Amino acid sequence: MNRFEFSGKLRITLLIGIGIGLLSMILTYFIGDDDLNSRFWSNFLHNSSFFTGISLMAVFFIAASVTAWAGWYVVFKRLWESFSIFLFAGLILMTILGIGNYFQWHFLYHWADDGSVAHDAVLKGKSAFLNKNWYLVGGLLIMGIWIFFRQKMRRLSIMEEKQIMGDYSIHQKLRIYSAVFLPIAGFSSAAMIWLWLMSLDAHWYSTLYAWYTASSWFVALVAMVIITLLFLKKLGYYEQVTDEHIHDLGKFLFAFSVFWAYLWFSQFMLIWYANVGEETVYFKIRKDEYSWLFYGNVVINFVVPFFALIANSFKRHKLWLVIISAVVFVGHWLDFFLMIKPGVLHTAHELIGHGIENEEVLMHHHHLPAGFGFPGLFEVGTFIGFLSLFLFLVFSSLGKAGLVSQADPYIEESLHHHV
Amino acid sequence: MKRNKEIIFGLYGDEQDLLAAVKSAKDRNLEIYDVYSPFPVHGLDPLLGLRESRLHIAGFLYGLTGALIAFLGMSWVFTRDWPIIFGGKPYWSVPAFVPIVFEVTVLLSAIGMTITFFVVSGMGFGVSNETLHDSITDDKFCLAFDKAEADEATVRQVLQESNAEQVHEKMIKA
Repeated sequence: MNRFEFSGKLRITLLIGIGIGLLSMILTYFIGDDDLNSRFWSNFLHNSSFFTGISLMAVFFIAASVTAWAGWYVVFKRLWESFSIFLFAGLILMTILGIGNYFQWHFLYHWADDGSVAHDAVLKGKSAFLNKNWYLVGGLLIMGIWIFFRQKMRRLSIMEEKQIMGDYSIHQKLRIYSAVFLPIAGFSSAAMIWLWLMSLDAHWYSTLYAWYTASSWFVALVAMVIITLLFLKKLGYYEQVTDEHIHDLGKFLFAFSVFWAYLWFSQFMLIWYANVGEETVYFKIRKDEYSWLFYGNVVINFVVPFFALIANSFKRHKLWLVIISAVVFVGHWLDFFLMIKPGVLHTAHELIGHGIENEEVLMHHHHLPAGFGFPGLFEVGTFIGFLSLFLFLVFSSLGKAGLVSQADPYIEESLHHHV
Repeated sequence: MKRNKEIIFGLYGDEQDLLAAVKSAKDRNLEIYDVYSPFPVHGLDPLLGLRESRLHIAGFLYGLTGALIAFLGMSWVFTRDWPIIFGGKPYWSVPAFVPIVFEVTVLLSAIGMTITFFVVSGMGFGVSNETLHDSITDDKFCLAFDKAEADEATVRQVLQESNAEQVHEKMIKA
């Protein structure tokens, strides 16, 4: 079976998931939200940025692998390719947020409030970059570039199928696009991460933040690839994918979990050691108000995959690998929750009119508002909705081309891959 | 009990020929003395029935030892032996220990695994093992049999059928 059939049953399951997501978002908006609809919009941003980033990392992975002349992933390269389809959805979702800045649909960003910027030296100083125009136009431009490369590389990869054996001229072109995309993706993803996520804590900054967030996306990508690939195998597709390929994916999950932990710790330790007030505030609030998530984050995303995947045989056990992938995927979603929610809440407090002193009182003597301290039912529902939409787009895109490329120069190497 | 070994071996120029030869020797239940190769050959280990190396388990244990030594050592130094305040931090500043814990983990697992590897393979200073043939250290793949353990006629037949480039015999002293 070289062509994926997006069966009715799977389609309906995913549509139900999308329905749950929509329902959760509507319910969040109309009940159980504050005056500024912070809960709804922070969930919107949380999931949009998380899944768009996973999609970007899929393009990045292909570009890096093509540039490195890697062969092992080629059997299931269509799966990586179809993961990049969510960039289109991401463009729409992030543009909605960008337009929302102008019309005050949401109040996620402190720097988007003209009144606050006028009286705030820090926000004013950053306003050359942190402003509504950059958020919208820069976002459109950069995501447009991502989509351009995504389209180009996907088309070239499919065009290869029609080539005569031994003619690798299309692959040469693919190599050029890949090599050009790598530095672009590196710098532009950082710019988007600063705008979308880091600027939620507008007074705070960290030079490691972009790397750290991107590595979170990458681990989530690898985890999701493992789950979908093994799911497809279970359905009877991809019988060419052997334990050797799965083993390598397990290594990727292990290695990038360690990489993520390295960046997480580096960011934490530099700030903790330097003890500069304006930088420690980010960790202070997370450690005090979100202790479970703060420490749990490191356990789920580092300690668990580290020990669960450390030996060869652990990485080759399919069910075990799926369980760990699922844990890590949810773990990185929680990581994003922890990145986003405190900053949004802070901005909401500022705008609603509690001063900083009042906020201290509020934070220490009251529970955090629903959906801000820990993901509630609506957050989980929204997550299910976005995940279903993501998978729906992935499976739709997967059915559009043969599952296993017949013409990639590395296909033979990949079919005989052996670790 | 050590004895001199009479080794009969074939040399191959290609690892695919070597793999075929090993397979045909296994099919005829010949006891293989050893296989030498200038680089790791994919699929050779399972063919020879070799178990996965346990060196990495030793590595994990050495690493764990290193982590504990570093962590407990620093904890003792900075809380009991010689408490000093650095940068206004508490005596027992765990985050500051992490890089050193990491480094000692890597150090001990690397040194431990190297020493273990040398001991297990019987290598060490002054040890010199006789090579069967000089080209084994260069570009040839070698399949060797001990005459005492394998029937010579069958061995010669296997080597010939699998297109061994050269067949030699050599006495290895005990």
